[in-house]
Amino acid sequence: MTPKTSTSARSLDDFLTASAALTGFGAFDLHGTGMAGLYHRTALEQVGGPAVGRFLDALDAAGGDPDGITDETARDIARAIAHMWYLGVWPQLAAPVHTALGRERANTAFTVSPEAYTEGLVWRTFDGHPAGAKPPGFGTWADPPPGAPAVPRAGERTSGLPGPREAGP
Amino acid sequence: MSPAPRHGRARYDVIVVGAGLSGSLVAKELGDKGWRVLVLEAGTGTLGSWPGHLGALDTYYAALAKVPNSPYRPNAAAPSPDVLDLTGLPSGGYRSHGYFLQQGPLPYGSDYLRAGGGTVLHWLGLTPRMHPEDFRTRRTYGYGRDWPIGYDDLEPHYRAAERALGVAGDAAEQADAIGLPFPDGYVYPMRAIPRSYVDDVFASRLDGAAVRETPGAPATTLRVVGVPHARNGTPDPRYDGGRGYRPVGAAGLPNYGERCVGNASCVPICPVQAKYTPLKTQASWDRRRVRLLTQAVVSRVLADGTGRALGVEYLEYEDPAAPAPTTRTAEADIVVLAAHAIENARLLLVSGLGNHSDQVGRNLMDHPVLLGWGLLDHPVGPFRGPASTAGLECFRTGPARRSRSPFRIEISNWGWSWPEGSPGSDVARLLGMGADPAQPRGKGLFGPRLRAALGREIGRQVSVQFLMEQEAEERNRVTVDRRRPDRLGIPRPVLTYDLSDRVKSGMAAAKAVSDQIFRLLDAEDRTAYGPGPLSPGWFRFEGRDFTFNGAGHGGGTHVMGDAPGTSVVDSWQRCWDHPNLYAVGCGSMPSMGTSNPSLTMAALALRSSERIHRDLTAAHRPAAVGPQEGRP
Repeated sequence: MTPKTSTSARSLDDFLTASAALTGFGAFDLHGTGMAGLYHRTALEQVGGPAVGRFLDALDAAGGDPDGITDETARDIARAIAHMWYLGVWPQLAAPVHTALGRERANTAFTVSPEAYTEGLVWRTFDGHPAGAKPPGFGTWADPPPGAPAVPRAGERTSGLPGPREAGP
Repeated sequence: MSPAPRHGRARYDVIVVGAGLSGSLVAKELGDKGWRVLVLEAGTGTLGSWPGHLGALDTYYAALAKVPNSPYRPNAAAPSPDVLDLTGLPSGGYRSHGYFLQQGPLPYGSDYLRAGGGTVLHWLGLTPRMHPEDFRTRRTYGYGRDWPIGYDDLEPHYRAAERALGVAGDAAEQADAIGLPFPDGYVYPMRAIPRSYVDDVFASRLDGAAVRETPGAPATTLRVVGVPHARNGTPDPRYDGGRGYRPVGAAGLPNYGERCVGNASCVPICPVQAKYTPLKTQASWDRRRVRLLTQAVVSRVLADGTGRALGVEYLEYEDPAAPAPTTRTAEADIVVLAAHAIENARLLLVSGLGNHSDQVGRNLMDHPVLLGWGLLDHPVGPFRGPASTAGLECFRTGPARRSRSPFRIEISNWGWSWPEGSPGSDVARLLGMGADPAQPRGKGLFGPRLRAALGREIGRQVSVQFLMEQEAEERNRVTVDRRRPDRLGIPRPVLTYDLSDRVKSGMAAAKAVSDQIFRLLDAEDRTAYGPGPLSPGWFRFEGRDFTFNGAGHGGGTHVMGDAPGTSVVDSWQRCWDHPNLYAVGCGSMPSMGTSNPSLTMAALALRSSERIHRDLTAAHRPAAVGPQEGRP
């Protein structure tokens, strides 16, 4: 595949395609968070348009598989973008990458916005909801999550309690 | 209208220092009885408004570390300690770089919050009563300090506190499983909050199992028991002789209130305010009589030469970011310190009051917490519901207390959030990112494999929290350093803190129990303790590593007792040295047992309110002239 010309010409669509490859969530889900534009701008602000372009080129060159990215700067940008989607937090870059990019800003982690936290993808990986938002309703915590077996509820074990057992060694 | 002029010398029946749990309850009780009360709050009052609450929620969302104080803005005039103030050193030891000056062998690991509403804004909301034997460990088991009152004295006030805070629970289960005495037929205001699926899984594998603290020790039979919460659930129509209970809605937004909807963020903030906070009590204050002055830092308690408290000196400021305080005074017949155990001690020490016994600031206690964590063999649905809805209560009492601290085991519903900072740490780890950006990074997982790995690992996380009783020790103490003042010139607290061998032996027993719990669960035990930046509470004991955390349960610093020579306050929380100066809160507790202490603190505040009312009534009775004999 011929790498596209890098720099600022790369679009939000390119960013989303790459984000889908990084996160394992489809572009539809990613759009649905409402965060795509903000994350794209954040990446551009944090490492600059050329570096984002080189990352996108590197991903293209790897056939769209992030595992194939060999350049450590591009790979660390991939980590940062995935981290941002999963947690809403732009992370610290690896120190050598920070230096190599010549960033004129502190290498500190920050939550991109309050909504970025509540739209974090990590909660969806285990069928959860962000702590402090999108509450599922009174008593829902008593139900088995998807993929979990039913166990007796409190009060259902009225008889047949197992007798005293010893923990193993 | 306010009952008194805003500035100048103002006189009240009562001054309450601190608008947290104790202070809000005392002001409520006394205002309702017609007394004029001034409440001075060092922090801001912004959290009592709905926009202020929503602002705190956004601050929490945006916080990198979702620690207990994360929703609440820093205040230069009334600084709060923060758990992030402590850093562990690479080979043990710690560094403290916040409001506290710490010099003990181990760090005091708890925070508190100086803002209207107080630390209880970020409490978990659990309200277990103390066990009767917790009040007399010295007489029964030969350690610690005994209370001058017992469970029976406090029982009516426990019920009053359960009404004031709005407790949901199962009294019959508490009585049966823990041996707590309740009056016949007592039910809590609300039915028990449903216990979690995690609890049910634990119960299915642990109930009836026997564990031993050491190979030769007697067996203890495990039983998962629900815990009472001050959290809106389903009212129990049987409550109060069939009169039922009406839950209290949110503060700052009329006609809004919900049952717990499972936001799973009780600590540090409940978005719907299903959890009790003192702001709810403040909303019911009779504002004709109770006046709240926020951004007013009490700097000194004023007393005359006879030991009578006259009032307080306080520093009023406008801008929390750049305070330029104005000094004022207020006078009252009775002064009540309700500013937190450590702040109460600080005020007494700075004022040179109440310390005839040399016990002010001593006996600093917390519930040191040991954590255990592992992976179950199937999804458990972590990060759902209140942080804990059940526990194992069987190590709280009994003769083992003679040799080691007892402990209460909380089953966590929130995965590894406390021990490992999940789920953020899981994402970083799987992406190959360590905490130190200077270290080389791993290749990392991406795409569907990352998504699946996160779901598989986080979805099976379980953890348990062992809350250890810490006995009162004089060497664990708060002092003040006049050379190290805060921004307003008030000396900062200096803490000297350590764990006794009794506590450490309790932790060794707890770890042995933890090992067996994870085996019984068929869980992969991932518990590991070692030094490092995130482990300021690491130590070695009898050749093994331990790491403890603070529970936010500071107490003991103006200890209650039965004699003025050996304690600071009497059983009414009244300073022995100053009959009209009260110091209320966990600081009065001679022991805290293994119960989360807020309910007991509330019961004590309600009990003291009765006494303060009697004191005031006596003081305001028209003076009798001549002998009273023979009068009608």
